[in-house]
Amino acid sequence: MNQLLRFLIVILPVVVLIFFAKILLIDEDIKFSNFDSKNFPEFQLNDLNGDPVQSESLNGIKILNVWASWCITCLVEHPFLTRLSEQNIQIIGLNYKDSDSKANAWLEKHGNPYLFSIYDPRGDLAFDLGVTGAPESYLIINNQVVSHIQGEMNQRKWQSIFLPLIQQAKQGS
Amino acid sequence: MKAPCFWIVFLTAWSILFINSLDNDHPLKKFTLLMLSLIILGFLLFLLLTSNPFERILPFGALEGADINPVLQDPALAIHPPMLYLGYVGFVISFSFITAYLLNGNFELQWEQDIKNWSLVAWIFLTIGIALGSWWAYYELGWGGYWFWDPVENVALMPWLAATAFMHSLFASSKSNVLKTWTMFLGILIFALSLFGAFIVRSGIIDSVHSFANDPERGLYLLSFSGLITLFSLTIFAYRLPVLNSSKLVVTGSKESFLSMNNILMITSIFSIFLGVTYPLIIESINGEKVSIGPPYYNTIFAPLILIAAIFIMISVDALWQRSLPLRTLFFTIAPPIILSLVSIYFIWRTTSVFSILAYIGIFSGLLILFSYLLRTINNLFNKRFFNKGSAIAHTGLGLLFFAVSMNSILSYEKNLNLAPGQSISVDQSVKEFSFNDIRVFKASNHDVISAEVSLLQDGQEISLNPQKRKYATRGQITSESSIHTTFFKDTYLTIGDQLDNGSWTFSLKINYFIKWIWFSAALMVLGMLLTIFKKKAS
Repeated sequence: MNQLLRFLIVILPVVVLIFFAKILLIDEDIKFSNFDSKNFPEFQLNDLNGDPVQSESLNGIKILNVWASWCITCLVEHPFLTRLSEQNIQIIGLNYKDSDSKANAWLEKHGNPYLFSIYDPRGDLAFDLGVTGAPESYLIINNQVVSHIQGEMNQRKWQSIFLPLIQQAKQGS
Repeated sequence: MKAPCFWIVFLTAWSILFINSLDNDHPLKKFTLLMLSLIILGFLLFLLLTSNPFERILPFGALEGADINPVLQDPALAIHPPMLYLGYVGFVISFSFITAYLLNGNFELQWEQDIKNWSLVAWIFLTIGIALGSWWAYYELGWGGYWFWDPVENVALMPWLAATAFMHSLFASSKSNVLKTWTMFLGILIFALSLFGAFIVRSGIIDSVHSFANDPERGLYLLSFSGLITLFSLTIFAYRLPVLNSSKLVVTGSKESFLSMNNILMITSIFSIFLGVTYPLIIESINGEKVSIGPPYYNTIFAPLILIAAIFIMISVDALWQRSLPLRTLFFTIAPPIILSLVSIYFIWRTTSVFSILAYIGIFSGLLILFSYLLRTINNLFNKRFFNKGSAIAHTGLGLLFFAVSMNSILSYEKNLNLAPGQSISVDQSVKEFSFNDIRVFKASNHDVISAEVSLLQDGQEISLNPQKRKYATRGQITSESSIHTTFFKDTYLTIGDQLDNGSWTFSLKINYFIKWIWFSAALMVLGMLLTIFKKKAS
């Protein structure tokens, strides 16, 4: 009995520790990317040049990246997005609660990784999409919002969340 | 990152004070210092490696600070965390000292007296910290409640329960040399639970209003560090257990025996809370389902535990240390409080005509404790006999707490109202008239204010209340400031909601019975503990 008690005093806390460590190590990002896909919301907005955006432009595999000139973390992820665009990944910008002059100046200064940017000064489309803040990125496959990444996009999140889905989609088609 | 800094400041402060209070040739000084230094080292590394305060935040520095969260811009909240942490961290002393005792291996030593007052002081800080947090949640958060069984409240309550059990068994083991092993185990448990609390708050694995930082790296560090410290201590404890098990046996029917029973109950409640906190995680890790454990679980678990605890407290009032309580005395001790409580319950039922089994168990338990101590105190004062005033006051506080919480749960109610400025309505029997006189908008130092002027005709008395909504400039966050009118039995608690399309405003009127009694009872417990410390000093 006493032996058992001594054993339990040490083993039980170890079990609790292992349990919590296991929960912690489940990747937070993957937990949040469990996401029910839905149709891309309908919208009527212009791009940053003032031309209306066609909804056909969301066919195929596209990344929609929410950004703004006031957003500091957007600058942090900007080099990574530029690298993606150089690998022929098609990225569409969603310019969020910004002014077009500031946004265009920002793209001028830092470079433009986007095919084009949807200009959403009031955040209407962002609201329908369920954007929580800038930056945030959505994976859109044939007009379907399939997954999203909150906050800064980086190599790790790209590989663990978007890339597997993109490969899956490519194999399927 | 204020929390790691808090921990370190208090940790070092407590350590310096305690180490200097020990004589240089104290046999445990060396090992205590070692344990304290190891723990400080662990926290300093935590600060340096995972939350370095001097690190640059981003490649681009923030242009402007984000402003402290408006609900935290409040004096009670400036005192609540330091108090709480002083309490949590204060138990590092008993933890280190007990571990040092186990390491040292000379079990003839008396160690209880050296840490008794230190633990009492830490307990007082912890109690004040929890009570202040609850008071702040009541008047500032605008929810109108005082306790929500939120995970972070729970992780503060667990060390508190462990600490309370520890204090009791420490009294017993220093008085009559029993329960020594048990006391040591509790001493280790309190600090382990405090560390667990820090881990829960910092790692963000549990969703809660309190979890600020969502950082797995920090969580992992805290988990491994606190795990190592706790396991180190527990392993030595388990290793020494056969040698320790030689203390005297507890006499059945003695004060110690009832005290041990309540110790078991406190451990049961700690385990129940622990299960409540971790159950959603367990379920989620098994099948991915999200469940939440709320007040119904805790209320159902606690009601019977409280009743049993109250009965043991009642019996132990007249019990003696190390001697069995004669059956005849037992009967005379418990009969009057039981009868008085039952009669009071009957009158409460007659006047309120509400019935809830859980609440009545709570009221009955509270009354049992109150009447036991009341009768005992009267008796002692009358016969000019010595009695432990500190214990009487602290336990009266506990009885009052059970009573107030249960009465609050059956009597309080809430009304949602809809009024345009200038309008006036009758709410119920008690609040005959509710007039929304005016609404004003003005600017304060860092926020805009919408302030409603409301006057109430309550129980024949005219009351004016000014609930506010504030919009804070920097974050754009909107907060609700409640307006509270307090009388002896109840609080009238008013918050203002949103404006509707037709121009009228929504109000939430809460009538909270006995709510101020809850904090008064916490104050009594603290006062009782203070008396215990000063009585010790005097003798």
